[in-house]
Amino acid sequence: MTYSEVESVSGYIGNFTVQIRKKARYVNPKLCNSCGECVKVCPVVKPDEYQMGFSSRKAIYIPFPQAVPCSYVLNMNDCLGNNPIACGKCADVCEKQAINYDDRDEIVTRQVGAIIVAIGLDPYDPTEMDEYGYTRFENVITSIEFERLICAGGPTGGHFVRPSDHQRPQRIGFIQCVGSRNAKIGRPYCSNICCMNTIKDTLLLADHYPDTENTVFYQDIRAFGKSFEDMFQRSKEAGTRYIRGLPGEIEEDPKTRNLRLTVENTTAGRIEHHEFDMVVLSIGVVPPKDMAKISGMLTLSKTSDGFFMESHPKLKPVDAPTRGVYFAGFCEAPKDIKDSVCQAGATASRAGALLNAGRVKIEALTSRIDEVACMKCGQCAAVCPYGAITWKKGEVAAVVEAACAGCGACGATCQYGAITMRHFTDDQIMAQVRAILANKPQDKVFAFACNWCSYAGGDMAGISRIQYPATNRVVRTMCSARVAPEMVLEAFRCGAPVVLVSGCHYADCHYINANRQTVKRVQKLWDQLEKAGVRPERLQLEWISAAEGQKFAKVMKQMEELRKTVTMEEIEFGRTALQPKPKKKPAKKELEEAVATQ
Amino acid sequence: MPATVESFRCMMCGHEYQEKVEKDQDKERSCPKCRSNSIRHLKKKATATQE
Repeated sequence: MTYSEVESVSGYIGNFTVQIRKKARYVNPKLCNSCGECVKVCPVVKPDEYQMGFSSRKAIYIPFPQAVPCSYVLNMNDCLGNNPIACGKCADVCEKQAINYDDRDEIVTRQVGAIIVAIGLDPYDPTEMDEYGYTRFENVITSIEFERLICAGGPTGGHFVRPSDHQRPQRIGFIQCVGSRNAKIGRPYCSNICCMNTIKDTLLLADHYPDTENTVFYQDIRAFGKSFEDMFQRSKEAGTRYIRGLPGEIEEDPKTRNLRLTVENTTAGRIEHHEFDMVVLSIGVVPPKDMAKISGMLTLSKTSDGFFMESHPKLKPVDAPTRGVYFAGFCEAPKDIKDSVCQAGATASRAGALLNAGRVKIEALTSRIDEVACMKCGQCAAVCPYGAITWKKGEVAAVVEAACAGCGACGATCQYGAITMRHFTDDQIMAQVRAILANKPQDKVFAFACNWCSYAGGDMAGISRIQYPATNRVVRTMCSARVAPEMVLEAFRCGAPVVLVSGCHYADCHYINANRQTVKRVQKLWDQLEKAGVRPERLQLEWISAAEGQKFAKVMKQMEELRKTVTMEEIEFGRTALQPKPKKKPAKKELEEAVATQ
Repeated sequence: MPATVESFRCMMCGHEYQEKVEKDQDKERSCPKCRSNSIRHLKKKATATQE
């Protein structure tokens, strides 16, 4: 389905309902034979987006040469309309009568079992990096614009010219890492493709115009793939100069429109000045604009770089945290064509395996809602990162087990004890807390650790033989969001001098973003402890990844130091000050009414 | 994005600091001094009292 956009997605693995907006083309692709008569008569001239504005298009056009189906589209924002006085010329000349000015967007609903997200990328806009003068100097272009200028199907028919005077440039400078590996502009990641793209461009230039002088300014050349190093060497042999150092500034000679660069050559250790006829900014890539919309529709999480986060970086690299959703290409991380094709193949296989199986096996770690105890508040639905809890105002909430991943955030949020997290029930966790702190609690460092990261971080510390105090006692939960405030308070009531809640780092959360609930709860608990007269520092929060055995040991040492500062008087005071208050009467009354109506 | 300057306290080392926070910002916090993640967001009222 081309020229369409996903409007909404609901449902769960094997049972998604997708609403798609099929945009109005105003040209019937079944009738259109792409004769081009309409283009000849169209009076509207607009910059061609595909050619990066170097040439023009009409209001009726084929967006790009490889478009499927190869039929025209009428851009209604540009079109003068079917007003006999204003225009309507394209419809007059179309023998097939394929043009329909009354065409409207259509909403199509489809039932699908799996969803593949392959929304691509956006090129970085170098406007904000004013030192390179992209907006001020005509002869500073981006690598995408270079691509159009040297392409045989481009605006100049493959004749490489510079924009200011349409003369062929002799000296061309390439600047690498524009919008990549730059924390100052919020893009600390490597865009993966720019080094090889520039090497390819220099080879193209050397092939087409052997007399050009090409110079590449770089931080590192990352030529790590198959035959990439060979290509890099060929570029150098073809005469391309590689200078290690990124220019700090570009200035233009107003007469010749040539560009002067000042750069610190870090290999030679000196400041150099270079003059070029044209400068190409090797721009990086950024997550596409639609990321937030898709992320919201499919309950996906993002890494700190802004790309989608996979379910597991090593074991499930194409699976999204939401079951039945898979990734292919750039939206997951910057990658080249070969990697994108590999990932697309893997994704198609994963989706095919799911659909062929016909049924889904899920872990028994899901939540269950007690319909009698549920007070219909809907808080559980609000905190579920997967949207696996359905709730309407005034109705009992229900869990869609196929969509539930078992983080337990809902169970920790429910104040009425209506949610049971299978295998990690409140009673089971409370029993562990009480048993651990039954003897000499004052000598123990009590910790809650999430299954995937913090607990594994403890394992890593162990197998790495990293020493840490033997006073710690850890209760494992699937996610730190499973730790209910009552569990922390119960630990203090049982005499724990200090309590640690630990989970995955933000970017690593195995339940999309459930650990944000942990932060909110711990913030509230600090307030609660302070209000009760208990030193809030006795409760600590840490993010420890599975690879951070060192950090786990460091935190445990810090907790042990903290434990030593807590006096017996403080522990005893905490025991009494944090005793549970009697439950609210209205809630109990409502509960009785609910039981009576059953 | 609208941003406000908010106050934070590290619950491990006690270091207090201020940071510009954008609305709906989703960021992992750590103490600039000791790197602990036990960062308490001080409410405006609490900050004013301490000052």
